[in-house]
Amino acid sequence: MSHEHEHKHDHEHEHEHDHDHGPEPAEATQTQGRGGRELDAAGRSLSDALRISFAILKVIMIVLVIGFIASGFRTVQSGEKGIILRFGKIHRITTQPGSVWVLPFPIDELVRIPSDRQINLPVNTFWYRETREDIMGPGTIPRNYRADSLDPLLEGYCLTRSEKSDAQIGAAVQRVVAADANLALAPQSDGSDYGIVHTRWQINYQINNVDQFFRNVYVADVKPGQVYSDIMTQSITPMLRSVIEDAVVQAMVHYTIDEAIQSVDTIPDRVKQLAQKKLTDMGSGVTVTSVLLVKAEWPKQVDQAFAASIAASQMSQAAITEAKTYAENRLNEVAGLVARQLYQGLVDGTLDDAQCEALWSQAAGQVRDRIAQAEAYKTTVVESAKANADYLLSLLPEYRKRPELVARGIYAAAIETILAAADEKFIVELSEVARERQVRINLNREPVKKKQGQQTTN
Amino acid sequence: MRNIAIPILIAVIFLILVAYLVAFQVRENELAFVMRFGNPVRPITTPGLKLKWPTPIERVQKFDARLRLLEAEIGQTTTKGKVPIIVSTYIVWRVKDPLQFYNSVRTIEEAENKLRSQTNDTQNRIIGQYTFAEFVNSDPDRIKFDEIQTKMLADLSPRVAKDYGIEVKTLGIKQLKISQDNTKAVFARMTAERKRRTEATIAMGNAEAMTIRTKADEIRTGLLAAAEGRAKAIRGQGDAETAKYLEKMEQAPDLAIFLRNLEALRTMLTSGRTTYVIPTDSEPFSLLKKMPSLKASEPK
Repeated sequence: MSHEHEHKHDHEHEHEHDHDHGPEPAEATQTQGRGGRELDAAGRSLSDALRISFAILKVIMIVLVIGFIASGFRTVQSGEKGIILRFGKIHRITTQPGSVWVLPFPIDELVRIPSDRQINLPVNTFWYRETREDIMGPGTIPRNYRADSLDPLLEGYCLTRSEKSDAQIGAAVQRVVAADANLALAPQSDGSDYGIVHTRWQINYQINNVDQFFRNVYVADVKPGQVYSDIMTQSITPMLRSVIEDAVVQAMVHYTIDEAIQSVDTIPDRVKQLAQKKLTDMGSGVTVTSVLLVKAEWPKQVDQAFAASIAASQMSQAAITEAKTYAENRLNEVAGLVARQLYQGLVDGTLDDAQCEALWSQAAGQVRDRIAQAEAYKTTVVESAKANADYLLSLLPEYRKRPELVARGIYAAAIETILAAADEKFIVELSEVARERQVRINLNREPVKKKQGQQTTN
Repeated sequence: MRNIAIPILIAVIFLILVAYLVAFQVRENELAFVMRFGNPVRPITTPGLKLKWPTPIERVQKFDARLRLLEAEIGQTTTKGKVPIIVSTYIVWRVKDPLQFYNSVRTIEEAENKLRSQTNDTQNRIIGQYTFAEFVNSDPDRIKFDEIQTKMLADLSPRVAKDYGIEVKTLGIKQLKISQDNTKAVFARMTAERKRRTEATIAMGNAEAMTIRTKADEIRTGLLAAAEGRAKAIRGQGDAETAKYLEKMEQAPDLAIFLRNLEALRTMLTSGRTTYVIPTDSEPFSLLKKMPSLKASEPK
């Protein structure tokens, strides 16, 4: 950039000199012209040629002056802010895109800084090492490289805290493991249990304070053929990355591995907050616009246990769902949709009579059946009592007149009905002679129904 | 005219040359000082156009005053409890006092070398004052990460300011890892924890499912009992309602009982298989033995 400038300004500088020359040759033409009236033809033609060439020179100079003024105009694109330095000091900062006019080189300089443009920064420092096969391989096959431990120089990860309840158990396990495997004693027993998690992040940032940014943040010099915004991004990336990594490390120790894997919302928020605080404190003029926890994975080394845990929670969820279905069916069977409400009302005694009645009337299923049966019984009983009473009352006048006859009539009719329906009738003569004898009747006690059944099967 | 123009031109060129010799710019993000015959005489801390004696007498030394990143090498150190940990510290720094900077380190590269060893030194010393449990802890209130970083900054900052004229703007730990051997132990523990959690999950799921079922059964039983009670009440109502009809029948209790008994007989005996053994002297079978004596009564 600055090279470019120097180049241009050098040109302008020369123009300036020409400009200073400007009036003088023009005057010269005039004096020469005045003297040339007494000269011969050759001298006159020379003076003509000179006049013409001076005229041309004039035009050229006017063009150059215009060009010089025009070359002071620079464009500040949208999404950029221009800082105009006069003798190296910030003279003014443009607020809107458009043209600005700056003085030539040694005096003014325009620095254009992309602002309000979102710049993306992926952070993969906390991810495990991936071999070429891991990245290029088909689909989501397990990674090829799989040691039983993580090399701190090659593999990226974050430490997460343990849950409080896990800490004591963890410490006990650790002692056993460490004793068994003759491992160096890991930190333990003082609540310092922790987990390991791999995470991947995406950060978006923008330069919102170009003044601060220009003053404070190192950006490498732009060489000819390079674009300022590229160089700028390259220059500030290591610093931003460090600040973000710092924030991630610091934030993650406050969360458990479960929170990390579920990508709890507060994690990126916390990272953003921590990073922003540092960036603001150092006066970088950079704003972190978004922090995204793209992916969080438990280490491959504990994959089995974690997968089993997830399967278990799915299974227990399924068991609960099944139980809920069972409960719903049971309740529907017994009283329909109002079962729970009705039961609750009955147990609490919170429902008033009207509400209670309304619920009873809405009840379906077995409850409904029982009540319906009772209702039917009630109707039957009442109706039959009524019928009997009516019958008696209708009979009463006649019975009062001739009780014997009416009673006998009814009696005989009843006996008739009863005996007519009987399967077998034995009428036994109880004579004086036969009084001492026994009458024996062989009754066929085989159920009729069974007989019929045998017939049908035969 | 011509005679005037040429001297003016020469004067202008001369002035520009002089300006080049005696004036210099300090940019907004630079610091500088002026040296007279190789000895620093005045620091320049404000930007803009400045003056000095021409070059052989006074020279200008400029420094970029912008923030720079320095990453200490990732390395192993030990905490208070002799636990090995791997940390990587970075600092963001700038030239603050150009004179001091020039006298002690002169170049950015040299400054970086000095800073790197100073940072490593600070890192190892301060981390050695804290236990591992203060880096990561199941109780978030006991984590002192922030304090550790602040303390490291407080340790490093005054030293390099005094010695090198450098201001350390910020300091942070950007990697926190454990030794490779320890990862094995951590994995074993994570696995054990997870297994225990798995079992707990299953047990809790089953218990909850059981509770749901039991509750449903309880509601069912309760509702059926309530329904039974209600049904009984309804039947009772029915029975009670028949009372008013009984009252009517009181006009002829004998007949009522007689009718009721007949009704009962009819209901009982007309269903199912029945066999009767009846003596011939009972009505109306006595007719089978002989004709009864009938008397025609007088018409009334």
